[in-house]
Amino acid sequence: MNSPSKVPVTILTGFLGSGKTTLLNRILSEEHGKRIAVIENEYGEVGIDQALVINADEEIFEMSNGCICCTVRGDLIRVLGNLMKRRDKFDYILLETTGLADPGPVAQTFFMDDEIASEFSLDGIVTLVDAHHIHQQLGRSQESTEQIAFADVILLNKTDLVKAQDLDALEARLREMNRLARVHRCERANVAIPTVLNLEAFNLDQVLVNHPTFLEPEYPFEWTGVFALTPGSYELSLDDGPDPTMSLVIVEDLEPNEEALQQGAEWCVRRYAEPASRISPENAIPMGQHVELQLQLSGRKSFAIEIEKQTTLALFAQHTAEEFNLSLAVSNNADAPLQTSNASTANPVTLAGLLPVLERTWVAQHEHDDEVSSVAIEADGDVNANKLNAWLAKLLREKGVDIFRMKGFISIAGESQRFVFQGVHMLFDGHPERPWGNDPRHNQLVFIGRNLEGDTMKREFEACLN
Amino acid sequence: MPKLIKNKPYGVLQNGFFAAVDDYPIAGGWGLKGKLFAVGDASGSVHAFDGTSGQEIWKNTEAHVGGIMSLSVSPNGTQLASVGQDGQLTIWNFADGQLQHQTEIASGWVEHVAWSKSGNYLAVSSGRVVTNLSSSGEKIWSSEKHPSTVSALGWVTDQELSTACYGRVTFFNTSSGQENERLEWQGSLVSLALSPDGNIIACGSQDKSVHFWRRSNGQDSMMSGYPWKPSELAFSHDGLLLATGGGEDVTIWSFEGNGPEGTTPGVLEFHQAPVSSLAFSPHQRHLASGCREGGVVVWSVGKKGTGRGLGGAPVSGSVENVYWRPDGRSLAAIDAEGGITVWRVKKI
Repeated sequence: MNSPSKVPVTILTGFLGSGKTTLLNRILSEEHGKRIAVIENEYGEVGIDQALVINADEEIFEMSNGCICCTVRGDLIRVLGNLMKRRDKFDYILLETTGLADPGPVAQTFFMDDEIASEFSLDGIVTLVDAHHIHQQLGRSQESTEQIAFADVILLNKTDLVKAQDLDALEARLREMNRLARVHRCERANVAIPTVLNLEAFNLDQVLVNHPTFLEPEYPFEWTGVFALTPGSYELSLDDGPDPTMSLVIVEDLEPNEEALQQGAEWCVRRYAEPASRISPENAIPMGQHVELQLQLSGRKSFAIEIEKQTTLALFAQHTAEEFNLSLAVSNNADAPLQTSNASTANPVTLAGLLPVLERTWVAQHEHDDEVSSVAIEADGDVNANKLNAWLAKLLREKGVDIFRMKGFISIAGESQRFVFQGVHMLFDGHPERPWGNDPRHNQLVFIGRNLEGDTMKREFEACLN
Repeated sequence: MPKLIKNKPYGVLQNGFFAAVDDYPIAGGWGLKGKLFAVGDASGSVHAFDGTSGQEIWKNTEAHVGGIMSLSVSPNGTQLASVGQDGQLTIWNFADGQLQHQTEIASGWVEHVAWSKSGNYLAVSSGRVVTNLSSSGEKIWSSEKHPSTVSALGWVTDQELSTACYGRVTFFNTSSGQENERLEWQGSLVSLALSPDGNIIACGSQDKSVHFWRRSNGQDSMMSGYPWKPSELAFSHDGLLLATGGGEDVTIWSFEGNGPEGTTPGVLEFHQAPVSSLAFSPHQRHLASGCREGGVVVWSVGKKGTGRGLGGAPVSGSVENVYWRPDGRSLAAIDAEGGITVWRVKKI
């Protein structure tokens, strides 16, 4: 738990040449009102006068009994212990690790040493990735894989050196390995400071506030189109496609900007988890509900959408518009008032239908054979606390060495509050958070680790449900 | 039990003086038989105060660039050695603050400094290396790199120096720098204390235990169960008692008879926050303890390790350390808010 007086610490990892020093210099030279102390391992890389720069000699040791989870950085305990005495000189710490460092012992230091834990809070782990070279590194080195696995934020740097389609593939591969991390693309580490500092990624109470569903989801939809519409009747039509059905959620009044789109997407992930109502052709599609369009009939099929007031309508569709040649048009049903003339000033009209004001294709899941992957478990309902305890204890005992990060929230039977948790290897931290209120009770758990057996884990978790 | 009355010392502690420095005081020390008390702070300044009135006698605001790491007073009390983040060892004339010698030890932090018992040698450590120097600051030898950073230094006798680091205590011959002995223990040793006769060496470990060795017969033992890492250790003047921190209580092990093996330690309960400093009086079994919430207590400790409070006082911040005047008649505490509080200690 973080108290406001604790000094936040951001760990900066990444291979040599990934741009850590560039990012460090960018952060230090920008006006953000913070006084930052930098702890670096690689001597003399940073040449910034105004910053308090301390060199640390990487010393990893086991706290006791040879357990990997009790491995900490002894040098950091000493350096941070000394920095505590100079707290009036700074209010943030950036901790740069060597390119070859395993972030585990660094992160664990903030939980294993009482004195450090009482004065500092781990804010987040930022991993810089050289988009041009990471593919080779991931194949060859355990460290770079671990740096991806531990990250809260992955900065895909040097994107100017890589083709767009390769970037998409790379991003998909990284997301598959670590679905908790936010991925940002950048050139010369040119990211906005709030994307890397004050993330509160390890603060359980912030986890749900920032991201009600914090999974960087493997979105159940592939395409979103936002349309500006005036009142009237519209027709959504589709050709034959790869599947006999297609899931869809329509969101009203979604602002056509990226932030609203992300929020809408998170909301829709929840709707997609609910049972779908089947809608046959020629019927109206209800708003804000998970529906499954029935497309078994051959030929082009139409569904009705009724708009009562001017709105921006977002369609979150299971498949891309191209796959079904999906289009939205003003209805030419004779019973409906003719709207064509004033239908849309915002949407250019084509013969095929209206063009969306904003369109987005979501990164779809791709299969890779990386040994590090994310296992996400989602389930509605309540869990039995005793069963869950027994399962987690067993899981961490047997697989703790291979689990790099975990986060989640759980609905425990008989408890009115969400139980939130997070962990690094076998270190587990959890407590009750805000009340469920009227929200549907469900569970979301993510584990990032090596050689995790996702299906077994899911089955075992489901066995804990009441 | 003593009670800490608002801003007033209680029991054997009586008002002496209060002074302050502008930055976090890192270390202090009495000089000239208690006439002066010196403090080094995190800005790199050294200040010397009159030990009775608290008047500042001298100061040097540029003693070290970037913070003092440690201070040590020569046994005769006439010289003060300081080490800092600038890699320097500096020796000062305690009476007037004149710089006597300055030696560059390393490019990084020099963390520890200690005069030998005769005052003929000065040991310093920086990172993984310990260096022995003459009292005038000439290097005699430097050790090979230890397996990890040297976390504590202690003079056994004038002929032998000991160091603690991850996994071991190492003993060095003072004149040759050769290793006399290694005592190994799989743990990160964070503190070290030697009994006055040099027979017992005790180390606090990061894994919340205290390990000690008797060098005369090779017997060693471990005491565990501390809630915090026991980074504070102190032997009584007669070597009978080892006071240990590692939480809110002070735990005292008695070496009377065949102890402390098989005995129950004395536990001194009063502090409401982890104990941050411990020091035994130079001539009596009186222990001073300071805690992170800013209280100092003086205890009378019996041969079995049990004790009772004799007096106490609040200070302005988390107690960094406590220092008995060489005659035991005065006690100084330095705290995180920059306060230097000195009490007279009533004779009992």
